[in-house]
Amino acid sequence: MLEVKIDDLANSDLEPILIRAEARVEEAILSNNIETRSPKDDVEISSFPIAVMLVAASANSHLKRRYALAEAKRVSNLLKDESEEKIAAVARNFNWNIKTVKFNVGTLTYNFALSFPHFLRNAATIQDAKWKLINRLMLNGEVYLTKNEASRLLQEEVRRYIEGKLNTEVGTLPQNVMERVERLKRLSNEIRGKLQSEEIPKEVMTDAFPPCIRELRKSALAGRHMSHVGRFTLTSFLINSGMTVENVIECFRPASDFSERMTRYQVEHIAGGRGSRTKYIPPKCDTLRTHGICPGMDETCTRIHHPLTYYKRKLRTIRTAAETPTVPRE
Amino acid sequence: MNKIETKAFIQEKFAEYYRLNSASIDPPSSLANREFAFLLFKERMMLRHKGVKDAEDLRTLMKTVVPSDVYYSSAHYEKPEEEMEAKGWLGADLVFDIDADHIPTPCGKQHDTWICNNCGATGRGTPPERCPICKMQKFDDKSWLCEICLESAKRETMKLIDVLTRDFGLSPQEMTVAFSGHRGYHVHVEDEVVQTLDQMARKEIVDYMVGIGLEPTFHGLENGLGPNLEDAGWRGRIAKGTYEFLLSTNAEQLEEMGLKKSLVNSLINQRDKVLESWKSRGPWRTKGVGSEGWKKILQKAIENQSVKIDTVVTTDIHRLIRLTNTLHGKTGLKKIRVSASDIERFDPLKNAIAFKEGRISLVVLDAPEFTLGDERYGPYKNVEVELPSAAALFLLCKGAAQVKEEH
Repeated sequence: MLEVKIDDLANSDLEPILIRAEARVEEAILSNNIETRSPKDDVEISSFPIAVMLVAASANSHLKRRYALAEAKRVSNLLKDESEEKIAAVARNFNWNIKTVKFNVGTLTYNFALSFPHFLRNAATIQDAKWKLINRLMLNGEVYLTKNEASRLLQEEVRRYIEGKLNTEVGTLPQNVMERVERLKRLSNEIRGKLQSEEIPKEVMTDAFPPCIRELRKSALAGRHMSHVGRFTLTSFLINSGMTVENVIECFRPASDFSERMTRYQVEHIAGGRGSRTKYIPPKCDTLRTHGICPGMDETCTRIHHPLTYYKRKLRTIRTAAETPTVPRE
Repeated sequence: MNKIETKAFIQEKFAEYYRLNSASIDPPSSLANREFAFLLFKERMMLRHKGVKDAEDLRTLMKTVVPSDVYYSSAHYEKPEEEMEAKGWLGADLVFDIDADHIPTPCGKQHDTWICNNCGATGRGTPPERCPICKMQKFDDKSWLCEICLESAKRETMKLIDVLTRDFGLSPQEMTVAFSGHRGYHVHVEDEVVQTLDQMARKEIVDYMVGIGLEPTFHGLENGLGPNLEDAGWRGRIAKGTYEFLLSTNAEQLEEMGLKKSLVNSLINQRDKVLESWKSRGPWRTKGVGSEGWKKILQKAIENQSVKIDTVVTTDIHRLIRLTNTLHGKTGLKKIRVSASDIERFDPLKNAIAFKEGRISLVVLDAPEFTLGDERYGPYKNVEVELPSAAALFLLCKGAAQVKEEH
C-alpha cells in the first residue's frame, strides 16, 4: 500500500485520488462492475486502498459485498488477458495448489489442474450447473479448468479477500472524507431500496408455496415419518412465510411420535427464539435436491434458486392476477 | 425376565465386554479437540459434550459408564466440552455413511416389518405409502439385517473407495473404512486438505457421489458424440452405466421408462450393433434415439454408477460418529476397521462378533432367519432356545427376545 496517512486525506493535493476512489465505489454501486480507470497510473493505483477505506468506514454490509464483488470482477476480467503462468502465480499467492497443463478433451483445451478442495472452496458458491463438481473433469484429485474458468474462479477468491479487507476497523476520518462516505452510503441504500421490492405479507398464502413445501406439509399433516432435513425445511419455510410458532406446531401434531414440548423447542429454536438467537431460513433448492426433498420442478422453479424466492414471486403473480391492492393486512 | 431386566442383562454383558477388551479401544486422532457422547442404557439419553484426556481416560469411561453406544465428533473443536455455539469449530473429517436403508437391495428387505399405528395391520419389507387396511400413513418399523443387505452395502462401499481413489486422488492409506456394527459401513478421510471444507463444498462432494445435478452435455454428450468406456471420471461412468444398462435391459423396461415404441424396437433389434459400437465411437448415433431418449437412458446409467451414501451425514459438519471397536446397541456386534484394499474378502457377520464365549437361554418372541459366524439361526416364534452368546445378544439387542428366567 502506498504511504498515504489518514490525516493527509484532508490535504487538497490528494483530492484526485479521493475523487477517483469515490468514483470506483460509485460505479460499483450503480453498475455492479468497475470498468473505468484514471488516465494517471499513480492515481488509479492509490485510489484502490482509499476506496477500500471508504467502504470499510461505511460499516454497511450490503455496500461492502457489492463493492468487493465489483472489484473482484474487474480483477478477473483483467486476468483473462494474462498468460497462464501469470494466472497461476496469482492463484498461488492465494495458496492454491494449481499447475498449468495442456490437455485436450473433445473440443475443449484445459490449461490448468487445480486440487479439488481449492476448487470447491470457490466454485461451490457459483450458481451454475457448469461449476458443479459433478459436471467437471476431475482426475486424481485435480479439477481441470480452461483459462477463462481459472480467472472466473479467482474472482471468488479475490472477492473474499477484499471482503476481509473491508471488515477491518477504520479509525476516525477527516470531515471531507466522511462526507464522501455518507454520500456513498446514501446512494447504496437508495439502489438497494429499489432492488428489495416487496416484503412478505403477514397472511400466509399456501397456494403460493413451492412444490417441495407443499409435499412436506402434506406429509406432516398426514403424520408420515419425515427426515430431519424435511422437518427443518418445512419449519423454517413456514416461519419465514410469517406463520406463527403455534400454527407451525399444529402442522406436526398428526405425527405418531409427536411431542408438543420437543416440537415447540425445535420450532422456537428455528424461529430464533432460543439458543443462538439466529432465525434460520430454509436450505436453497440445490441442497434440497441433494437430500432428496425436491419432488421435481414446476415452471416457476426453473427461474429461482430458493424456495422463499419462489414464494415471493408466486405471491406477486397471484396478487397481480387477482388485481387486489398490495397492502398487507395488519 | 421382563423388558427392564433384559436391558440390565444386556448392560451387564456390555460391561463384561469392556472390562476385558477396553485395551482394544483406541481414541481417534486429535483427541483433545473431539467431543464424545455416550448413549446411556437405563435413561436412554445421550450424555453429550464430553471431553477425553487420553486413551486411558477413554477406556476407564467405557468401563464405568458402560454406554449402549459411544460416539465422537467428526469435527474438531477448540473447546469440545462447551455448548454447541461456544465450541469453536476448527474443522471436520470428511465422513461417508453407507447404510442398507439407503440402498434398494435384492432381498427387498423382506426381513423388515412394519405395523400400522392406527389399525395394527402388519407387513413385511419397507412400509407402504398407505396402510392397505385403514389407508392411514403412520407406521412403526423394525429393521433387520441379512447377508444380502450387507453385501449390497459392501458393494457400494467399494464403489465409494474407487471414486475416492481415482477421482479424488486419495490413497487407501488416507481413508479409514469400518463396518458400523449394524447395516453398513463408514469411510473417513482425515487428510488436512478436507478438514476446513464447509457444508456447501461437502454438498458438492455428495452430489458427485450420488449423481445429482449431472448434465451429460458437460461430459461430451452432444450431436451424436458421447463419452467412451475408457474415459476417466463421470465421463467414463456415464459410458459404463449406459453399456451395462443397454446390455441388460428389455423391451418391457424401456417402455416403462416412457420411451417410444419405435425407439424401443430400434434399441432391442439393434442390440448387437449397439454393443459393437463401443469399440469405435459409441452408440450415441444409433438411429431413432434422440436427445430425449438418451436423457432417459442416461438417468438409468447414472443410477447404476452412483454411490448410495447417506447425504445428510457427509454434509453435516458437526456429526457424531460411532467409535471403532465399541459395541452397537442394536446388535451387540462391534464397529470394526476394514482394510480399504481388502474389503472384498471381509465378512462382517464373522469379523464383527464381539461375544465369543458362553451360551445364553432365551425366549425368542419373533425373529426371521439370520446368519452369524458360521451358523444359521431361526426363524423363531415364541420358542425357548439356548444360543451362543453372540446370537443371543443379537436377538436381545434387537428386542426380539428376552432372557429366560433362571429357577
